[in-house]
Amino acid sequence: MATVLSIQNLTKHFGKIQAVNGLNLEVQSGQVFGVLGPNGSGKTTTLGMLMGVTNPTSGNFYWFGEEPTPQLRRKIGAVLEHPIFYPYLSGQKNLELNAMIKQCPQENIPKVLELVELAERKDDKYKTYSLGMKQRLAIASALLNDPTVLILDEPTNGLDPMGIAEIREIIRKIAASGKTIILASHLLDEVQKVCTHFAVLKRGNMVHTGPVGDVGGGAETVEVNADVENLNEVLLSFSGTASLNRENGMYLVTMRDGFHGKDLNRFLFDKHIVATHLVTRKKTLEKQFLEILAESH
Amino acid sequence: MLQLLKIDLKKLTSYRTFWIICGLYFFTLLTASASGMEFLKWLARTIEGFGQSINIDRIPLYHFPDVWQNLTWASGLLKIMIGIMVLISITNEYSYRTIRQNIIDGLSRKEFLVSKILTNVLLSVLSMVLIFLVALVTGLIYSSRLDLSYMFSGVEFFPAYFLEVFAFLSFALMLGIFVQRSGLSIILLLNSYLIELIIKENIDDYVPGLIKFFPLESISNLVPLPFARYAFQQIQDYVSLESVGIALVWTFLFNYFSYLRLKRSDL
Repeated sequence: MATVLSIQNLTKHFGKIQAVNGLNLEVQSGQVFGVLGPNGSGKTTTLGMLMGVTNPTSGNFYWFGEEPTPQLRRKIGAVLEHPIFYPYLSGQKNLELNAMIKQCPQENIPKVLELVELAERKDDKYKTYSLGMKQRLAIASALLNDPTVLILDEPTNGLDPMGIAEIREIIRKIAASGKTIILASHLLDEVQKVCTHFAVLKRGNMVHTGPVGDVGGGAETVEVNADVENLNEVLLSFSGTASLNRENGMYLVTMRDGFHGKDLNRFLFDKHIVATHLVTRKKTLEKQFLEILAESH
Repeated sequence: MLQLLKIDLKKLTSYRTFWIICGLYFFTLLTASASGMEFLKWLARTIEGFGQSINIDRIPLYHFPDVWQNLTWASGLLKIMIGIMVLISITNEYSYRTIRQNIIDGLSRKEFLVSKILTNVLLSVLSMVLIFLVALVTGLIYSSRLDLSYMFSGVEFFPAYFLEVFAFLSFALMLGIFVQRSGLSIILLLNSYLIELIIKENIDDYVPGLIKFFPLESISNLVPLPFARYAFQQIQDYVSLESVGIALVWTFLFNYFSYLRLKRSDL
């Protein structure tokens, strides 16, 4: 797989604030890469640097293995934060202008308008559009040059549930066509539904990166409680225990690969301990996200 | 290059404010230039003795070759209108944040600036051509002597007028890029002459030789005030190479400062 984006030690300070701190990241071709993080964690600053609008304090990044240039940016479709267009121009004219900037044929315009279902309103002024239509026009504009990479920053921000579903559907369609997508969001559900890989940023530091598929699978966590005093020793002596934590008066056992809740149950029973509480936790991305953020304190 | 000009014109030509201001500007250029004789008649009526000691019909306001300097000087006053248009155009890019999106979409910061500068060039050329046509027509109407070498002595005021407008628009563009807010930058533009005047008047006693190097002063010096000649005073009826040199340096600096600012800022 070809490396689309490679970030090395990218840093941005705004005065004393370290917005992004020594970020290293690789995105491979065909991935739908989610960038997660709470507000103010440096997602937009990072994407701003990747798209040439924010000057990095230090560090490098390479698109398609090359030094970034305006010409390379034309091969990338990007919507950062909210959609930005000339309010007094129609959707059509805004796209015509963007086609001139990206130096791509004007014939692409009807196609992308069709994809985001804006063809009917194309001649209305941008300022008359609803938020959802603005977001869709932004996606249309990002797709104008048939880019191989698409960057979307909070594409569903402020949309109603229907709008969110529409945008998600569009992202799925685009992902299915084999494009690489970098999606920044704080909506974890969103990322879990569409992304293949994700990274978590916190106060400008990357605290985790990996495939989304590992979230549900991989290590299993089991909540246990029983009326015995040395329960923690017993649990630690279980060969399937990877680590042990306490939470709300219960023990949290993180299992080694191949071990499950029922194995722990049988082990306890063999030790003549009857659990009063035994629940296998289903891990969501949200759970993992909060865990990662908590660990990285 | 042409592509960059087309991009900026695409932004402007569907913008109603642009047409209103440009329309008013070019219309005022026409009417202001054409109403000189009426102005003299009004002066003769209002000022005691003006019409008696000098016969206004004998003031060669629109006669070749006086007409070139007279009209380029008078229209030079109106460049402030088009300067405001330039400010609106650049500060809109900041308030709509479209400058950010332009860069994201693949313009370099330099290309963005060049697209704005090219529009300034175009507006300056259009102003020059319009004034040339007005001066030519009125000159042909009023002048009795029409041999070519006589007619066209003094046309160097047109390139000077072009530089005057372009330098001023470069100044306005720079102001817009530094200030980024339309209201504030327009007020600053209108005040810049007064601010410069205050500084000039206060250093006049100490280093009078410095005054011609002031930016707005150097722009005004390109086409010197001609009308004193009708009161039998000595005037500078040519374009001085020194003032062209100083204005050229300022024009370069204005655009270079814009470039530096754009290059370094986070958009």
